[in-house]
Amino acid sequence: MGVPVTTSAKLRLERVGKRYAVAGAPDTVAIDEFSLDVRQGEFLVIVGPSGCGKTTVLNVLAGLDTPTSGTVAIDDRLVTAPGPDRGVMFQDYALFPWQTVQGNVEFGLRYGPAGAGLDREAREQRVRRTIELVGLAGSETKYPHQLSGGMRQRVALARLMANEPEVLLMDEPLAALDAQTRIILQDEMLRIWGQDRPPSERRTVVFITHAIDEAVFLADRVAVMTAHPGRLKVVVDIPLSRPRSDATRALPQFQALTQQIWSLIRDEAYRAAVA
Amino acid sequence: MTTALDVHAERWWSAAGVGLLLPIALLITWQVLGTAVGTPRTPLPVNILKAAAAMIASGDLPAALLQSLGRVFGGFLLAAMLAIPLGLLMGYSRSAERNLDPLVETFRPIAAIAILPLAILWLGTGTSAAVAIVGYAAFFPLIVNAVAGAKHVNPTLLRAAATMGLDRMTTIRTVVIPAALPSIGVGLRIAMGVGWTAIVAAELAVGAKAGGGGSGGIGQMMFVFYAYSIELNRIIVCMIAVGLVALLLDRMLRALMRKLMPWASP
Repeated sequence: MGVPVTTSAKLRLERVGKRYAVAGAPDTVAIDEFSLDVRQGEFLVIVGPSGCGKTTVLNVLAGLDTPTSGTVAIDDRLVTAPGPDRGVMFQDYALFPWQTVQGNVEFGLRYGPAGAGLDREAREQRVRRTIELVGLAGSETKYPHQLSGGMRQRVALARLMANEPEVLLMDEPLAALDAQTRIILQDEMLRIWGQDRPPSERRTVVFITHAIDEAVFLADRVAVMTAHPGRLKVVVDIPLSRPRSDATRALPQFQALTQQIWSLIRDEAYRAAVA
Repeated sequence: MTTALDVHAERWWSAAGVGLLLPIALLITWQVLGTAVGTPRTPLPVNILKAAAAMIASGDLPAALLQSLGRVFGGFLLAAMLAIPLGLLMGYSRSAERNLDPLVETFRPIAAIAILPLAILWLGTGTSAAVAIVGYAAFFPLIVNAVAGAKHVNPTLLRAAATMGLDRMTTIRTVVIPAALPSIGVGLRIAMGVGWTAIVAAELAVGAKAGGGGSGGIGQMMFVFYAYSIELNRIIVCMIAVGLVALLLDRMLRALMRKLMPWASP
């Protein structure tokens, strides 16, 4: 069944707006009146046409951008800055080129508050476990430039998971990969997130993509956005059972949901493509 | 039978051979023309070789080079210790840059040799003046490249560090400085070259005041051959030595950087 209903949201965006001043022109409105609750342990995916402000929503949740109106809260505490409780996976992975795979995965534990209270041995053990979890065992001493796109993506995921943040914020992490690697990593993503575990033990995820099938495959709920200004159009429940696998992609229900979300953004996507 | 190794060696030799063809042709032309139309004082490749052999055998040339190299390293290290931290600060902090940049840019066009009069008046004609001049010359390429390195850190990396909760000092230590290292490395290479140029010029200029021999460095040695004994062949040996040492220093620095920054040279 779906996610249990909780009264209090893990993340709450309340009438959030973000405007950018543009010299000699009206302000650019990235997002406007954006309200959304993300529940504890749910996998929420945001889709929308390019330029709809998806990344802005994520940055505001991360505390990397400050909203110009409205409020953002995690566990009912206001978000004002980035923090180790919210881990971010960036579109271009943002790996440190001077660190090996091991060094990248270890980075937050070694230099940030996530590693407080861990001695060297405990830290190395967690790093080793995480590297194994994402399937990078044997590549520990390689540098990012020696890895394929798919492997870099795994390093970024491992770095995120090693810090054990309460919330995982992912900005189109699979966008730069080829179609096959992408499907494999969608499966991996769910495995690593822990879709086999009961919902109460899962981490809260906000995941951004422009691929609708990816959204349906991964999500408990899909938030559909529209552009200019970026607004929340509708939130679609994805009642597909977990664990999901390749068989899920073949279900008629999967196709129907994909079609339904496509129909919600089709007109706008066409307009954006022509413009 | 030809093995792969032989083929490799053969290719290497033929590549090196092609590269050496022009210089050898030029040397032969020089020798022939010089013998045919030159005066007895015209420096010729064969005589230069003889002079070089004599200068190396007497120990004068190695001693002079070592003397100059010591001064270069001294000035280079002093400049690096000052310029790199300052440059990183300027690259990272906008207010530091606003305050320091006009100062740096005002002094930068003043050639190292132009501060020689002051250096001599304050520090004399010995090693400390030479070190000061090298330090001055090396300072600018070091600081300019350190600023550029710290300024052009990929902003996403800084954001990544922020989301992992790193404080400011830790971010500088673990993100800004490593990201700036390749640029700092470029600064070190340029500074080493500039420092070497400056030392020769400085020693040449103060050469007349001090005694002869190797104690005054390579520049002073050249000055003595120019002003007192008028030995063109030996002057040219000095010039070649200066060039070869510069090449060697650069190759050594490059090798060091490759070793220290395996990620920067894929």
